[in-house]
Amino acid sequence: MRPIATVARYTALAWHLSAVSLHRLTEYRMDFVLGAGGLLLRVGGQLAVVGMVFRQVPVIAGWNFHQVLFLLGFSLLPRGVDRLFTDQLWIMARRLVQSGEFYRYLIRPVHPLFALLSERFLYPDGFGELITGAAITWYAADQLDLDPGIGDLLLLPLLVLCGALILAAIKTAFAALSFWTTNSFPALYAANQLGDFSGYPLDLYHPSLRWLLTWLLPYAFTAYAPASYLLFGRTDLLLWLPVVTAALVALALLVWHRGVDRYEMTGS
Amino acid sequence: MTTPTALRRYAPFASASLQSMLQYRSTLLIGAVTATTAVGLQVFLWRAVYAGRSDGLPGGYDLPELTTYVLLAQLLALSQANRVDEEVAGEVQRGDIATSLLRPVNYPLARFAAGLPVSLVNATLVGLPVLLLYAFLLPLAAPTWTGLLLFLPSAALSLVIGFGVNLLVGLAGFVTTNIWGVRIVKDSVVAFFAGQVVPIALMPGPLAAVAHVMPFQGLVDGPLRLLLGHYTGPAQAAGILIVQAAWAAALAAAAALAWRKAVRRVEVLGG
Repeated sequence: MRPIATVARYTALAWHLSAVSLHRLTEYRMDFVLGAGGLLLRVGGQLAVVGMVFRQVPVIAGWNFHQVLFLLGFSLLPRGVDRLFTDQLWIMARRLVQSGEFYRYLIRPVHPLFALLSERFLYPDGFGELITGAAITWYAADQLDLDPGIGDLLLLPLLVLCGALILAAIKTAFAALSFWTTNSFPALYAANQLGDFSGYPLDLYHPSLRWLLTWLLPYAFTAYAPASYLLFGRTDLLLWLPVVTAALVALALLVWHRGVDRYEMTGS
Repeated sequence: MTTPTALRRYAPFASASLQSMLQYRSTLLIGAVTATTAVGLQVFLWRAVYAGRSDGLPGGYDLPELTTYVLLAQLLALSQANRVDEEVAGEVQRGDIATSLLRPVNYPLARFAAGLPVSLVNATLVGLPVLLLYAFLLPLAAPTWTGLLLFLPSAALSLVIGFGVNLLVGLAGFVTTNIWGVRIVKDSVVAFFAGQVVPIALMPGPLAAVAHVMPFQGLVDGPLRLLLGHYTGPAQAAGILIVQAAWAAALAAAAALAWRKAVRRVEVLGG
């Protein structure tokens, strides 16, 4: 009974705290508009580049224009979900350990990671990413006459969720490095930057980079693997998705717990 | 004011900024990673395009040239990232601008002096390693002496244009408190129309036309066209430099004017 009760309690807490965040969001509407607007411009830039590439050639590395669009749009979905819930990790990597403020999360009656993340649930930029991503994916699927069966439609949220978990796990592991280095912002930033490669077909890249993005920092599973399944029916990578997700989450939690164990307060 | 006194007056701003720059070495690493990733993405994308076309691209860029363009575009952008926008906006927001007003110096000039070392450090400590990395990995276009000779003044002008744009964005802090949003908009719009993402020659007609009437082309596209020899005859090469110089002067004047207007609006709380 215990685990079920725990899950129920955390779900209720997450629900409640998300509602609190939504209230804050309506208070700072301008921030939301700016965040979403900035994101639209960034995606717009990416779309412009893709458009210009396909003005020159009909196909790159076996992908046509709308297939690349589909991949680009899909890559925003797990990113959006991840951003909604884990943006606090950036702040942790940058300063919470260094300044000693991290102890606050250790004295609350919930898991410290949950305590940290819940301080800012529903980060507004995440909504922008989700809406834009969904719109692009929808448009591309429509242009490609994609006709997913009911099974694929049910699978879709799971694929997005696994992608989001992978992203969150990578972020957690790199943010937790700050327990050793006091500031792991550059490392987290670098790891996150490599994620930019996941918005385009991996077939474009050098095999070594492809290997890195598949097995070392598995961004391939957040967009490329699901999109190649939905578009081409390729399952070679997709079958690994549950394994990779579970392993990565376990690894991230291990790093996190090791870090928390060696955390010492600055004293005051 | 004679030159030596001016130097003595503004040198402290430069050296203070240099010291704080070297203090935060992690930002250098972040710059390097961002540039390396951005170049990598672009290069892989365009290599695939060339693989699918036997007759090259419009605008006359062959693959080594386009690789060089994409790489140097990021490095130019790095050296134009002089932090002037965030520092001016930050001073305005915190009210520190009042202290700056008390100093017997020309504020835009002091900011320029503070921004220059940032540019130089970014170009050498961040840009050079990234350049060497890619030079080792990929075939690049070897520059000609003429190209280099034209590129240097053009790159210097691009620093002035970049400074003018950033100072104007920073001064927007007097009008809006949400400078973060303004900066995001600036970053993407400027980068795109500067030709930092794609050479202007590869843009579709209407976009290229817009890019050509904006000052931002002088940041990246202009200097790199001169370096790679993408102009027809000396007249056009001179034209690129003249347009750059004109925009540099216009932006400097606009920034000076905006500064004078802004100072009249200053309201600082408390004391």
